Amino acid sequence: MQAPPLKPNAAAGAHHHRANPTLLAALGLPTEVPADWRARALTKFDELLHTRRSLKLYLDTCVRCGACTDKCPFFLGTGDPNNMPVARAELLRKVYRRHFTAAGKLFGPLAAGEELTDAVREQWFTYFYQCTECRRCAVFCPFGVDTAEITMAAREIMASIGLATKYVSEVVDKAHTIGNNIGIPEAAWRDTCRFLEEELKEQTGADIKLPVNQAGAEVLLVPPSADLFTNTDTMMAYGKFFHALGVSWTTSSYASEAGNFGMFLNYEHLKKVNRRIVDAARQLGVRRLVMGECGHAWRAAQAFTDTLNGPLDFLEKPRPEHILEYAVRVIRQGRLKLDKSANDGLAVTYHDPCNLARAGGIIEEPREILRLIARGFREMPADTIREKTFCCGAGAGLLTDEIMETRFAGVKPRIEAFCASGATHLAVPCAICKAQFPVAFEHYRIDAQVVGVMDLLAKAIVL
Amino acid sequence: MQLWLSLLLYLAAAVFLIGLGWRLLNWLRTPVPLKIPLTPGPADRRGVLWRLGGELFAFRALWRADRSLWTPAWIFHVALVLLLIGHFGGLETPRFACATLGGMQAAFCRVACDVGLPFAGGLTGMSMAQFGHFEDISGGLVGAVAIAALLWLLLRRLLAERVRSISTFSDYFALLLLLLIIVTGNDMRFMGGLNIEQARQFVAGWLALHPTPAPADPVFTMHILLVCALLIYIPFSKLVHIGGAALFSPTLNQRNNPRQRRYTGPWDKTNASATA
Repeated sequence: MQAPPLKPNAAAGAHHHRANPTLLAALGLPTEVPADWRARALTKFDELLHTRRSLKLYLDTCVRCGACTDKCPFFLGTGDPNNMPVARAELLRKVYRRHFTAAGKLFGPLAAGEELTDAVREQWFTYFYQCTECRRCAVFCPFGVDTAEITMAAREIMASIGLATKYVSEVVDKAHTIGNNIGIPEAAWRDTCRFLEEELKEQTGADIKLPVNQAGAEVLLVPPSADLFTNTDTMMAYGKFFHALGVSWTTSSYASEAGNFGMFLNYEHLKKVNRRIVDAARQLGVRRLVMGECGHAWRAAQAFTDTLNGPLDFLEKPRPEHILEYAVRVIRQGRLKLDKSANDGLAVTYHDPCNLARAGGIIEEPREILRLIARGFREMPADTIREKTFCCGAGAGLLTDEIMETRFAGVKPRIEAFCASGATHLAVPCAICKAQFPVAFEHYRIDAQVVGVMDLLAKAIVL
Repeated sequence: MQLWLSLLLYLAAAVFLIGLGWRLLNWLRTPVPLKIPLTPGPADRRGVLWRLGGELFAFRALWRADRSLWTPAWIFHVALVLLLIGHFGGLETPRFACATLGGMQAAFCRVACDVGLPFAGGLTGMSMAQFGHFEDISGGLVGAVAIAALLWLLLRRLLAERVRSISTFSDYFALLLLLLIIVTGNDMRFMGGLNIEQARQFVAGWLALHPTPAPADPVFTMHILLVCALLIYIPFSKLVHIGGAALFSPTLNQRNNPRQRRYTGPWDKTNASATA
């Protein structure tokens, strides 16, 4: 997508709702911005500089070469210069220079240092919540500077002074108290599974189970809770898949969420949300841990679980697996009978969720599956797929209505690429993307359907 | 000109070495709590070396990002390395060092002259005089290329809207400093006026910790003063990236193997307890 001319402050008015005091208290954060917030923020900043090399190094080494300036979907969509990755990082870097470097302390503005003022704090809250931590900029940076690391640090500093968004805080709180992001309690979880079993019976004629809390099952499948709410086709697809394989599996009503919004708030909550999955797997005595179709969930699970809450040596295979990895393996073993004509007539293209591609390495698996089960599979333009994929524009806590304009802007490069592919169906293994794209398609008046990769696979499975 | 220029250069070099070393050590000592390699990425050490090598020597990410930036950036950095080699490893330097020095240092230099020079000469089939001539012309040429690349980068900063909007004083300062250093260097080469043998003795003596008086040439003095400024400026600015920023970057230097091998660290006490 062609870079737009700069439109200063074009996105300055897009604000998330702030979390209320009750919510903040529940998360152990200051209930309002304290009078000494500046000192507290700088203390937190200092702590992070000493515990995260990524932050320190990336603040130190950027040379403002500009390679990233036309890579961020939010810049491409809004034209707001603060949405260029380098400029977004400069919002933090200017304060770093002023307060933590010799040059900034001595020369201030001449060394591009700036005091941490109310205005800067507002900039932080605005623009670090217009970044989806998608890492696209990092792919193009000669030093591997990863804006996701900068954004995470900025959000962590803000959280330490009671600045967090309503959406992220609510979701994290629900994950801690109920076990999933949507807030589906155990009874409703079981009811929905029963209802979907009936639905599966109607569709396939088979008695396919969606087991809940079944101790001793082979597989604990952790889906994003949206799969039991809006993406029920995907939930039913897991059921048909394991049924066809004859593998015993279960979901957990305690860890009924793959996603980890803690990652979008701070380290402590990232770890705490992640803990539930490990505890559930241990408690149910399963042998394998498989993650459902969700992007950032996969990042948290595959890259962080073992470090934060491991070791997982109580599992037969002591590490999380992705459902699509699992599927590719059993397909290669010839354990599924597939009929690709089930998906005839669909012009399907594949959207790489940012965290699967750039933080999880799941890139070829979905393509291998789609080529086997959909004759109409085609790719979007090469500079918009695989590790160069464009974000859906709603990750990292942006999937909320009050910033709809920002979301529409962020998804624009992806929409353009989708249109270029000529597809009618967008296959995407991520719950956030699945919620964002239908809204975006409607906004941009595009007649297209969003489906899960597992949905298409399940359609092609012959029982 | 007396010895003060040499002494100033020692001071600047000390600031540079200690400052840069301190910065690099700081990066190294700061923990990396989680696995954050960019994927797809290599899971083994050899793969990581290729990835880092690609960034370090070919600026691979920059190539992916913007060819019109990659071109002047890569050319400039290569030219800079060649110029440094020319200044310190230049074929004439050791011979002058031999003449100036005594003791162990002279013995070392003699090895370089008696073994190194004939070897290099044999390789290219040039006589010593031809070599000197070649060195002069190639050095000036590389300098000119570096100047062109720097001007390209400067113009890009001034004219491209997005890059201009993110540029700070220090971005221009670094470019101008480098430009002036290379322009004064080439001025001496092409405009004459400099006693080249004296300049070589100055460099050789300085390197061997045995300073000799600097040539009494104002352009030479300016050249050295600007180099001092650059050396002092590097550790305190974005130019610190010459320490090899990509090598320290966890997105690039980590093996992508969080599921093959448990990644832990002593910085998080609660993780340690989870292990127990």
